Amino acid sequence: MSTQVALPPGFAALEPFVAWWAAPSLSERDTRRLDSTEAQRLAFYDAAKELAPAALEYLDSRPFTAYDEADHRLLDLVLGLIHATLAVEIEKGEEHIHARGARRMPIVRERADPRILTAKAHASG
Amino acid sequence: MNDLTNAFQKPFSDELRVLGTDPVPATAYYDEGWFDLEREAVFKRTWLNVGHVCELPEPGSFIVRELEFARASVIIARGKDGNIRAFHNVCTHRGTQLTREKEGKASTFSCPYHMWTFGNDGRLLSAPDFERFYITDKASCDLTTVSVDICAGLIFVNRDRNPKQGLKEFLGPMGEMISTLPISRATTYDEYVYDIDANWKVTFDNFQENYHLRFVHRRTNGAPALDSKPNPFHYPVAYDVFGPHRMDTSPGGGIPEPETKPLASLLLGKLGEQVMLDGLTGGPHDQDYFIFYPNLYVFGNPTMHFTHMVMPLAAGKSRGVFRFYWIGDDRTAQERISRELALAFAREIHVEDCETIASAQRGIESGALQHVNFQEQEVLCRHLLASVQKQVADHLAERRERA
Repeated sequence: MSTQVALPPGFAALEPFVAWWAAPSLSERDTRRLDSTEAQRLAFYDAAKELAPAALEYLDSRPFTAYDEADHRLLDLVLGLIHATLAVEIEKGEEHIHARGARRMPIVRERADPRILTAKAHASG
Repeated sequence: MNDLTNAFQKPFSDELRVLGTDPVPATAYYDEGWFDLEREAVFKRTWLNVGHVCELPEPGSFIVRELEFARASVIIARGKDGNIRAFHNVCTHRGTQLTREKEGKASTFSCPYHMWTFGNDGRLLSAPDFERFYITDKASCDLTTVSVDICAGLIFVNRDRNPKQGLKEFLGPMGEMISTLPISRATTYDEYVYDIDANWKVTFDNFQENYHLRFVHRRTNGAPALDSKPNPFHYPVAYDVFGPHRMDTSPGGGIPEPETKPLASLLLGKLGEQVMLDGLTGGPHDQDYFIFYPNLYVFGNPTMHFTHMVMPLAAGKSRGVFRFYWIGDDRTAQERISRELALAFAREIHVEDCETIASAQRGIESGALQHVNFQEQEVLCRHLLASVQKQVADHLAERRERA
């Protein structure tokens, strides 16, 4: 890991959640959810709920090719929020039942990360 | 919700009616001897989906798939000429497996044991000291081929080197129907898998009846029309059968609702609108589940466009593979986010499915039951077993004739 990269301006309130929730792959984001405590999930969900619309708008305001590392990190964090949200809004107090089953249904393949797509596009000129 | 939500029908067709109403023998779901017959008569002689052409984007691309039921490993490769071929992952010298890779790019495959080297078209290119062998026809040492063909972008293989039917004929009208689905143009996919202690039919049957939805999918409320009086169990609104294959039409739903799941709904965003803009919705099969004999589902829904394949591993073990197919890489943040949510939400439902399957297997395996009971709305489970029984009977009859 390189030195801590801040989130884009306006999203400082979410920085405490970056280290756990902004994992760089779908399977890792899923694992973070399954390994998290209910307190962790609720803290993230509550903090991110208000900022989610602004984050979506910000992330869609520029193409992936114009993303810097802070932008990518914010996107990873919002993707992590998906998994926390499913635990909070759907599984509720029964997340432990879901987690037991989900560990037996690993995600083994995923779409390419925008970082890789952008690097590929640069490489091919 | 439209009218379809509340309407469901009995499975009327003649093909389904001839299946009768009797309980079916429980042994078909655990007996080792019966399972061996299924391996021989069904899985070693039937077209099976093992991948998608997007995994073989250019000449030299290859994938390797394990067919546990046949103890076989198969290399599927795109040659210089662009054609896709399949071979046993077995050196023709003394049988060593050529590659341990699962996928990659290679113009040749070399056996690690004595360095026999084959082209990705299966031809033996070189073998050290070949003149010391007693082989006059070098071509006889080419890799052993496996039948392979494509439908809707899906790669099917058949362990039978001379299949009774070509893939197109085997898939029939349903093969034509799925050829118009987004899957045929998919370029990328996500995948999750599960191994489960259950016979492949016990696993598979869970996904071809809606009777369980209200009880098993309590947490996800995977069937949002559950409380609607005319269709309280979210039964399909239509059934159809084409030879050994079958399909049903879902009454819809299965997406997080804004009222109770505000953030999930926000994050899913406008995926529905996006796929509409991309021209992927509005087809005749948006709510159709295509169930291909013996072990493949294709869901036509363009926002949750997945396949589910169930492989037999042993009489009481199977493996499921879910794949979400997408056309094009993620173009925007919203697209990346909504795709991930659609996939994760569907997996939420599928995790619930797997909570009860192994328990059903344990009960059946105890031998307590001579029969299991299927209701009218579980007719597709009945149809699967009947199709398997027929293929086993035909196979045994052929074997007797040959003897």
